Amino acid sequence: MNGPVIGHLVLKDWRINRLLISVALGVGIVALVLTQSGGETPRLLGTVWFFVVMCVLSSMLPASVIVNERKKQTLAFIMSLPVSSLQYSIAKVVSNWAMFLVPWVTLLISALILIETRHIAPRGVIPMLLILAMLPLIGFCLISATALVGESEGWLIAVSILCNSSYWFVWYLLARIPSLTTHWTGPVAIWSPAARTVLSGEVGLIVLILALTLFLQSRKRDFI
Amino acid sequence: MTDTATEFAIELRGVTKKYRYFTLDKIDLKLPRGQIMGLIGANGAGKSTTIRILMGLVHQDSGQARVLGHSMPAEQVAAKWDIGFASEDMRLYDSMTLGWHMKFIRSIYPNWDRAYAQLLLKRFGLRAEQKIKGLSHGQRVKSALLLVLARKPELLVLDEPTTGLDPVARHEILRELTHVMADEGRSILFSSHNTQDVEQISDQITFIDRGRIIDSMDKELYLDRWRRLRLEVPLGIELPAFPGIIGLEREGRLAVATSNAFVPDLASAYESTGARVQRIESMTLEEIFIANVEHSREEVEV
Repeated sequence: MNGPVIGHLVLKDWRINRLLISVALGVGIVALVLTQSGGETPRLLGTVWFFVVMCVLSSMLPASVIVNERKKQTLAFIMSLPVSSLQYSIAKVVSNWAMFLVPWVTLLISALILIETRHIAPRGVIPMLLILAMLPLIGFCLISATALVGESEGWLIAVSILCNSSYWFVWYLLARIPSLTTHWTGPVAIWSPAARTVLSGEVGLIVLILALTLFLQSRKRDFI
Repeated sequence: MTDTATEFAIELRGVTKKYRYFTLDKIDLKLPRGQIMGLIGANGAGKSTTIRILMGLVHQDSGQARVLGHSMPAEQVAAKWDIGFASEDMRLYDSMTLGWHMKFIRSIYPNWDRAYAQLLLKRFGLRAEQKIKGLSHGQRVKSALLLVLARKPELLVLDEPTTGLDPVARHEILRELTHVMADEGRSILFSSHNTQDVEQISDQITFIDRGRIIDSMDKELYLDRWRRLRLEVPLGIELPAFPGIIGLEREGRLAVATSNAFVPDLASAYESTGARVQRIESMTLEEIFIANVEHSREEVEV
């Protein structure tokens, strides 16, 4: 599978994009601090920032890691190395996901810890928090797939706009499912069948998008 | 490995690639190991497509491509360990230094020669600590070439590496490529529309035009075989089409015949018609290229 070279490509993306990750992580942490600084306005502002960071990162990372490689003509340099187009795609998926998951997981765990220890929200909100946090992850997955398969900045921008504008609509729809919202002010996190179904659906969708991305990449005849 | 695989660094057989407005048509090309081949063609002739097929970046619709004995694109990973590729439109990472790029390539290629890399830094007047975005076009090309050369590849594939360079930078790069060939096992495919560069360093020349190879042979043979004969022809005498004459232009008593298979007997043949041979001129590679392309296009149109 040519693991060492793929590993070098992943590390290379990390080194090039570390500033972006650090900024996202920093802003996310500031957002979380805001949520527990007391007062309704900072809490609301912190919550909005928290999700905005995820949404912005879900668009900026694929743009920086994948589309810029074509746009700035560094793709030929990378493809001159001993990798196939599929191995390149795998490296991109791994580096992109790892870079997104680091702030995503860090911020999510931080939020859960704050709920548990500082009671910034009732525990009942945890299933909904996870369901909602999965949306930028799905969006990121879709935007990354578009960047890799579509190979165009135009497509990336279109799908980013579509994803970022539909989060709020999907949240609105989810908030209208009574079995999801009944318990969210309660003192205990309740994993209702509806919550489990939605979460499984989200995970399934991510797996499907990933599999489809690699399948389409493996069938490409012209890579540059 | 077959005998053919060991004999040729590059071997293309009947390679075809169709696009909407362009077709690379049944390309046959052989580069023996240890030789430099100049691939000459106008813009859009098919040089870059041919090179991308060789690198496995574009899959041919039909035909076979073998590079260093590996079938492309299926065995591109194995082949690319021993290929150094640089192209005019290849860029390095703007925000990183040349030193970072050297470290990155060194981490992948065990053959990386540190001492040679340092020597190239000095010869090319580059600084490892400088960011790519601060480099001139010439320095960027030299940086890309340094990254390719210091890994000591068996085959260098260079797609218009000297385009847009000033004469000094071009000279430095061509000189370095000549040094590389001191190692007899190494081969270079060098595409360009600048015939001067190709003439300077190539052993073999291939002309490509409108997606077809129109001629391919040893450079010295080209220069030996192509001649321009300036003739004075009495009015009323029609010049016959002698074998080896691919172009004949006449204006009054003066005629110019272009031959791609010149032999001294050709001059005698013209004399025997009553014409007087004023001069037999050697042709530059650029003149040969243009005459070849025009002849090929006439043949296609007929």
